[in-house]
Amino acid sequence: MTDPFEVLREPVVPVDPDPDFAARLRLRMTQAVFAPPGVTMSEQTISRASEPVEREAPWPPALSPYIVVSDARRALAWYTEVFGARQRGELHVNADGTIGHAEIGIGDGVLMFAETSELYPDVPVSAPDSPTTHSHTLHLQLPDVDAAVALARRRGATVEREPGTEPYGRAAVIVDPFDHRWLLLTPPPRATRLRQGDLARVTMVTPDALRAKDFYEAVLQVPFAPGRVPGAWSAPDVTPPIGMWSPPGEAPQVQPCFRVDDVAAAVARVRAAGGAAEDAERMPYGLLAECTDDQGLRFQLWQPA
Amino acid sequence: MSTHPGVAPDPAFGLLELYDEALPHVYGYLLARCRDATLAEDLTAESFLAAVHAVRKPAAPEPSIPWLIGVARHKLADHWRRVEREQRGLRLLDGEPDGVEDPWDVAVDKIRAHEVLEALGAHHRAALTLRYLDGLPVPEVARHLDRTVHATEALLVRARGAFRRIYQGEEGSR
Repeated sequence: MTDPFEVLREPVVPVDPDPDFAARLRLRMTQAVFAPPGVTMSEQTISRASEPVEREAPWPPALSPYIVVSDARRALAWYTEVFGARQRGELHVNADGTIGHAEIGIGDGVLMFAETSELYPDVPVSAPDSPTTHSHTLHLQLPDVDAAVALARRRGATVEREPGTEPYGRAAVIVDPFDHRWLLLTPPPRATRLRQGDLARVTMVTPDALRAKDFYEAVLQVPFAPGRVPGAWSAPDVTPPIGMWSPPGEAPQVQPCFRVDDVAAAVARVRAAGGAAEDAERMPYGLLAECTDDQGLRFQLWQPA
Repeated sequence: MSTHPGVAPDPAFGLLELYDEALPHVYGYLLARCRDATLAEDLTAESFLAAVHAVRKPAAPEPSIPWLIGVARHKLADHWRRVEREQRGLRLLDGEPDGVEDPWDVAVDKIRAHEVLEALGAHHRAALTLRYLDGLPVPEVARHLDRTVHATEALLVRARGAFRRIYQGEEGSR
């Protein structure tokens, strides 16, 4: 006898969902994929007591491009997906429905854009009109130029120069669907905006790193992720990144790590000034020297690789 | 420490590429089983977002439509487990018959069968859906429902019994 329930067998029949839903989920997927890895990890490791909150956006850098696009909503979606951008603030909508101001953050940069509006005939700006020459190029650093160019091409960009390796990193040139020209660059690993003397990292030595992580996570509301060393934690999304760990037998302390141009020369200066320093060791992120100043405070010196 | 650590290709990019092609399959799978467009959308979103995390785990499989359907199946089973927990307090002790099954040799009407499935408790609906609509072997059903194989077999017996009572009851009322 056959099992009468076998009639219920239901092969997978594709069904197109509501296009709005499909578009919203695509955006959420893109945001999830492009979120910093620390955020992803923290979603798995975070304690339930505190959720990271959306932090207030930092003030824009000294120079930010302010461009005109034909369709700011589409441009917002495009830059969000292809460049992993985050929207900053709300869209400013003019009385005629055009977008008067939009702002996105990409890495530590800010891009502002708007549409032209007939409400303001005296403002002499317009979106590019399929130019054969460009007056400017937007220079953008991204973690993975090859992936960004591949995605940009699938989303309708023209690739003017395929990704290639240059002395200054991996670079490509595209023209986006709104006719703006971009030079995309993945800088070499040694690239950093920190100069000698800048604080590169703060390490907290604490009797119980997990407890410290729970405490600061609750207070700062930023995501923490497991660190390089077992039992260590770090907050990679704050400036500079914070790390915390519990080496046996060490008293609680906070150790700054400073960027230097030449770590060997800096180690010699530590010793000459009455401090103590171990020779620099090669780490995945550069050269690192463990030091103690002439009053006993521990610190590190870091030279980018 | 470097502000630009070397970035390995992210397997989640593959998922984004697959999205347009896979979305109707995942949504279609869930809609046919939960028969509620809003719920199917919620579970579809949960499935894809969970897939972003899953695909980045060490030794994760290459993203594919069958793999995404597997993720969706987990989300569907999780959903029914939640519903069952909520219903458990409300459910009457209905004296479910245990263990013994009479042979049942009827041609089940598929459209009515789906109506009956929707009328069942979440635990029965989950067991029958995974076993019959998806065609999973009992140990697989057990894994999804987080029960032992023995408990799953017993649950399937009770689920089939509950299904038959409603199905035949409906028959009698017509």
